[in-house]
Amino acid sequence: MILQTLLLSFAAASPAGEQTAPLPSLFAIRVGRAETIAKGTLQHAVILVEDGKIVKIGEDLPVARGIPVIDRPEWVVMPGLVNAYSRLSLEGEAGEEFNPDVKASAELYANSDDLKEVVKYGVTTLGLYPAGGGVCGQAVAIRPLGKSVADLVLLDPSYLKIVLRATSSSKKALQDGFKKADEYVDKEKKAREKWDKEQEKKKAKPAKKEEPKPDEPKPEEKKGEEKKDDPKPEEKKDAAADAYVPPEVDPKTQPFLDLRSGKLHALVSVQSAAEYLHFLDALGKETCAWDLRLPLTRESDLFYVLDKKTYELDVDGIGDKKVRCVLEPVLTVHPGTMRTRNLPMELSKAGAKIVFVPRSELNPDHKNWLANVGEVVNAGLDRNTALSALTLEPATVLGVEKRLGSLEKDKDANMLFFSGDPLEPASKLEAVMLEGRIVFGEVKL
Amino acid sequence: MIRLHEILAGLTLAGTLLAPPAAAQEGGETPSADAKKPDEKAKPDDKKKTEDHYFAVVGGDVYTGTGGVLRGATVLSHNGKIEQIGFDLDLPPDTKTLDVTGYRVYPGLVAINSQGLMGNSASDFGDTIDPFNTRMILGLASGITTTGTGSSAVKLKRFRIADALLRERAFSTFSWSVRNPSGKKALREKFSATAEYLRQYRDWEEKVKKDKELKEPAKKGVDNTVLSVLRGETMAKFSATERDDLLGIAHLAQDFGFRPVIEGCQEGWTIADELGRAGAMAIVTPRDRRAKDERVTTQGGTNIQNAAILYRAGVQIAVAVQTPSVDLGGLVGRDIMAIAIEAGFAVRGGLPEDAALASITIVPARMLGIAHRVGTLEVGKDCDLVVTDGDVLHYNTLVQWAVVDGRLSYDKQKELYFAQIRPRPEPEPAAAERKLDKGEAKPEDKQGDGDKAKDEKKPDEPPKDDDKPKDGEKPKDGDKPKDGE
Repeated sequence: MILQTLLLSFAAASPAGEQTAPLPSLFAIRVGRAETIAKGTLQHAVILVEDGKIVKIGEDLPVARGIPVIDRPEWVVMPGLVNAYSRLSLEGEAGEEFNPDVKASAELYANSDDLKEVVKYGVTTLGLYPAGGGVCGQAVAIRPLGKSVADLVLLDPSYLKIVLRATSSSKKALQDGFKKADEYVDKEKKAREKWDKEQEKKKAKPAKKEEPKPDEPKPEEKKGEEKKDDPKPEEKKDAAADAYVPPEVDPKTQPFLDLRSGKLHALVSVQSAAEYLHFLDALGKETCAWDLRLPLTRESDLFYVLDKKTYELDVDGIGDKKVRCVLEPVLTVHPGTMRTRNLPMELSKAGAKIVFVPRSELNPDHKNWLANVGEVVNAGLDRNTALSALTLEPATVLGVEKRLGSLEKDKDANMLFFSGDPLEPASKLEAVMLEGRIVFGEVKL
Repeated sequence: MIRLHEILAGLTLAGTLLAPPAAAQEGGETPSADAKKPDEKAKPDDKKKTEDHYFAVVGGDVYTGTGGVLRGATVLSHNGKIEQIGFDLDLPPDTKTLDVTGYRVYPGLVAINSQGLMGNSASDFGDTIDPFNTRMILGLASGITTTGTGSSAVKLKRFRIADALLRERAFSTFSWSVRNPSGKKALREKFSATAEYLRQYRDWEEKVKKDKELKEPAKKGVDNTVLSVLRGETMAKFSATERDDLLGIAHLAQDFGFRPVIEGCQEGWTIADELGRAGAMAIVTPRDRRAKDERVTTQGGTNIQNAAILYRAGVQIAVAVQTPSVDLGGLVGRDIMAIAIEAGFAVRGGLPEDAALASITIVPARMLGIAHRVGTLEVGKDCDLVVTDGDVLHYNTLVQWAVVDGRLSYDKQKELYFAQIRPRPEPEPAAAERKLDKGEAKPEDKQGDGDKAKDEKKPDEPPKDDDKPKDGEKPKDGDKPKDGE
């Protein structure tokens, strides 16, 4: 619902940049090269922006007379960086084992210096997650600048964060969530049966006034169940007579119902190969969409579970599952040696999708984010995969991939302007555009 | 990484190496090879049915642990259990094989106690085990395929978290010490009460058949741990060093008819006959050192012959190491990695070599109550074995391969830790044979590494190596259906 209101008031919600040289609502950008992510690299790219959205992008497009043009043929443009896994600006306390109802958006406040700071390094979208272990709650996707919390929020909830450790309690927390969902489904079924019986009784008594109804409402109400928005208290009085009202859902159960229905997806943090197996074991036959957060330790042993074949695993490897892996752009070593391993590359080759996050929440790591990714690319990771891992893939993790993450028609005009190749350490970030406004650097028309 | 050579079934045990799993079975049996093909294609359809996993360790000197040595024999496993041990076995066509000609095959070692081989987990193994941790690799490199930890028994199953736990609550632990006379008295009373209860219970079990209203005897004073011992569900485990304690335990065991497992048992050699009569089982560490108590006139202190003397008196011996974790203080230290060497020290003290092997295989398995699964190489038991380049008890010996539940779990040359020590020469006949198997590199290139180059022989290369008389023809026949594939 927040999202809907946001979309309506979108134009008003555009962030207020600090040092903005205000751009008109319609303008064109002409640069030497554009990394569109979705459609490859464009040379001599022209991008038309209107009201914060990209309305047209292509090579050597003619620009109608009268439309102001930012003409920087030496620049390279790419979509704004998306940090899908962050706790910047949040200070909430860590939860215990099972808090699926906790929302990171509750901790959010506008005008955070932390958020303003990372804009300077090209971060135009963030996913903020709730702290804690076990099932720790729902993340929120935000833009870093805005006057109010509502201005910040892009999508809430974005994903359900789960930390899985190789312990009985951790595995049980996950299973309990689905158990609760099962219990609710049972409860709902019984309530439904009860209601059906009451309706039949009424049918039997033809004197009742609602007599013609009983058959009709059924199909409609079935849709109502799925929405779960229905249980309105004012209806309760004559609920038994009128419409079927499903029993109320415990806020701790709702996320798991949403996981099953596909409304929500999970981001599961596992640290080691063993924990990945334990996660699959805890998940059992449950099918829901999930991505992985893989904090890369120096001697990470995740290479054991890249695929099923190499080590004859009895389950699918990370690559086989083709999930997204949220990880830092670091090179690790083979355990017990100084032999370098490029796990992002290995995961990518095995079939997983890579999502990069800065090495830490600290400003220097945000600043060096692209350079760090450059190191991993230098060590063998495919360049386009790396660029996508900074933009479109994290946007997908956040569930906002239709709105941002690449330079495409109808997407937000979140752009970074570099003096050269974005992954080249010598390149300078000249300007950052957030939804059609310059929020860092200077751009002359 | 696990590179397995596929083998032609029905050939001599020396083993002709062939790449594809669906290799023709025998020279004259091309039709059966053809018949195999539709089977293979059908595989994806009914995966669950065709999950049969055959694995054969071929050509080694098999020390079964039951007294026999089968030289150049084959151990065939099916879904993790040993299906056949012997010579000239007909291997099913999909059998993965490991040629260990010239090496020795032993049952996987059973460590009576260890710590850390399962990662950081010590209980709830199903939820906490780390099958990728380096200590597990080192455990396998020491020949250990099963270990007791706490009073559970677990397997060193790599890459999987399922079914590692063999059994829980193998032991009921009691203490018996001359320094705690009231504790001794209390324990004896518990045993008396429980034995009496058991007598009454058995009596009641008989009588209740006739008189259904008869009441079950009251469990007053009955200790459940003692009850499980007297019922034979768990082993009674004592930790005792001194002669007097050992004597007391022996008498207790004889009085109540159970077989105690005595950990330590340093002065056991002084009363070996008593312990033997009590049917005691001892967990000893031959390199333990303990001075004699000079205040007593009887014999005492540690003795390198302890294990041998106890064994001759009929006490079953398990050997344990001093430090039950991986502790890399020297290559031959006293940690869990030195388990076989520790047993070797018992041999130095006079323990027969077969008893020394049993002390790190079947005897600890018996103590842990898992002797029906592991501890010897017998048909029907789990296919847990180690392949060594010499006598397993010798300090010079390295484990070359370890197999757990019919799967290759350790290959010295593929792991970091011992690969550089006396690198294993590539088997020469294998290389020569492979030249014949032109165009068959396909299934092997999944793990290739160094061998890839050898496998990728040009198909037009003339089969000049036919001079190997016994194997030469057969692979050629096998080639024909292959080329058609």
